[in-house]
Amino acid sequence: MTLRLGRHEFADDATLMMAIVNRTPDSFYDKGATWAEDKAFDRVTAVVEQGAAIVDIGGIKAAPGEFIDEAEEKRRVVSFVERVRAAYPGLVISVDTWRAPVGRAVCEAGADVLNDAWGGADPALVDVAAEFGAAIVCTHTGGATPRTRPFRIEYDDVVAAAIADTTAYAERAVAAGVDPRSVVIDPAHDFGKNTFHSLELTRRLGEMVATGWPVLVSLSNKDFVGESLDLPVGERLTGTLAATAISALAGARIYRVHEVVETRQVVDMVNTIAGRRLPQRAIRGLA
Amino acid sequence: MSRVVIVPSTLALLPEYASLDDPVADLRSVVVDAVGWLLEDGPATASTGSPAGQRIADHLLGPGGRAASASERSAGTSPNRLVVANGSATRTEKAPGHLDERAEAFDAAIGRALAAGDPAALRDIDLTLAAELWAMPDAGVLRDLATLVPPVSEVHVDYDDAPFGVQYWVVRWLCG
Repeated sequence: MTLRLGRHEFADDATLMMAIVNRTPDSFYDKGATWAEDKAFDRVTAVVEQGAAIVDIGGIKAAPGEFIDEAEEKRRVVSFVERVRAAYPGLVISVDTWRAPVGRAVCEAGADVLNDAWGGADPALVDVAAEFGAAIVCTHTGGATPRTRPFRIEYDDVVAAAIADTTAYAERAVAAGVDPRSVVIDPAHDFGKNTFHSLELTRRLGEMVATGWPVLVSLSNKDFVGESLDLPVGERLTGTLAATAISALAGARIYRVHEVVETRQVVDMVNTIAGRRLPQRAIRGLA
Repeated sequence: MSRVVIVPSTLALLPEYASLDDPVADLRSVVVDAVGWLLEDGPATASTGSPAGQRIADHLLGPGGRAASASERSAGTSPNRLVVANGSATRTEKAPGHLDERAEAFDAAIGRALAAGDPAALRDIDLTLAAELWAMPDAGVLRDLATLVPPVSEVHVDYDDAPFGVQYWVVRWLCG
């Protein structure tokens, strides 16, 4: 399906890098490296140069921690979205938020995508997306409350649950007036899931792709990678890229990442092997 | 008057081997223009030395109607000709056949004959040496032009280079 992300459209076969840009002092991977606004802006500049089509700006870390109210979340992201919008008119700006009022403020500031990482915790978020012509990412969290860790959650079939919840959310978004080309689904690895759940979702991602909704995967340096390999944050890139390769083979369209260059190479290589992408420049044995 | 165009037999010209960045973009542009010039004057028959060369000819001459018909080919009545052939493949250390010091002179002799519009000189191509320089079966196709092509009255050398250690020419001859 052709993808429309706010002001921007992408061809049916396009794969997109969504670079994570944290406006937080405490996110698990970068530990506040882009907390200062200028550092975050430098990160945007760097990932654009690396080929990211999307930046995903977040003002609250996913894990439990200090309570961040709506006003503080806005302070962290709204003016920054304005600044990025002005500097990069061709860049897709996504904001990672579950709150409709924050969604409204960032859309007014120029955001193209609302990345609802907490799976519809605020039901009014779809109305904001519809009102502003923004895209929405419909994630599966198993009903988890925002910023909570999974605790003994079990599913009869985690893939079936993820498909049921994300497609229901997608249909609710369309019913609310969101353009069907602007709806993306995300199994949300680690969110409301143990490592076995995230592994199964990776292994069976093709079932989500088969729904016809474009699939986003957010795999980067997550705990399911760390637990699979018994490696701490900072040593999970190779495992992340392995999961990326499996997801690319299954047909994922958007990759939410810390490492843009490495992910782009893996996705391109897999899609070239799969026959969905031409080699960049092949002359060996042909001259 | 008739027209003859010589183009290389590199598989990179075939659409099934396309890349995102065309490794033979300059060559392809010249080839397409030369074949366009050839077909301006009506259908053309192909001289090729291999099934791959024939596929390249079929691709360049286009689907039915643009190439010479089978009956024209068998009767040899089509005056225009697309020749799909290149020189050695041993011009550099990175060449498919590695470096052979004899390749440059071998290619130069053929290049002079093509640039002079002198098909008779192609009769002198040494096919044994050609095989050692990875130039067969194309060199045989070039040698056969000595008997197939009437006297040449005008020559355009559009391409003469060995970008991958393989000698390519794109040459247009106006004959008669």
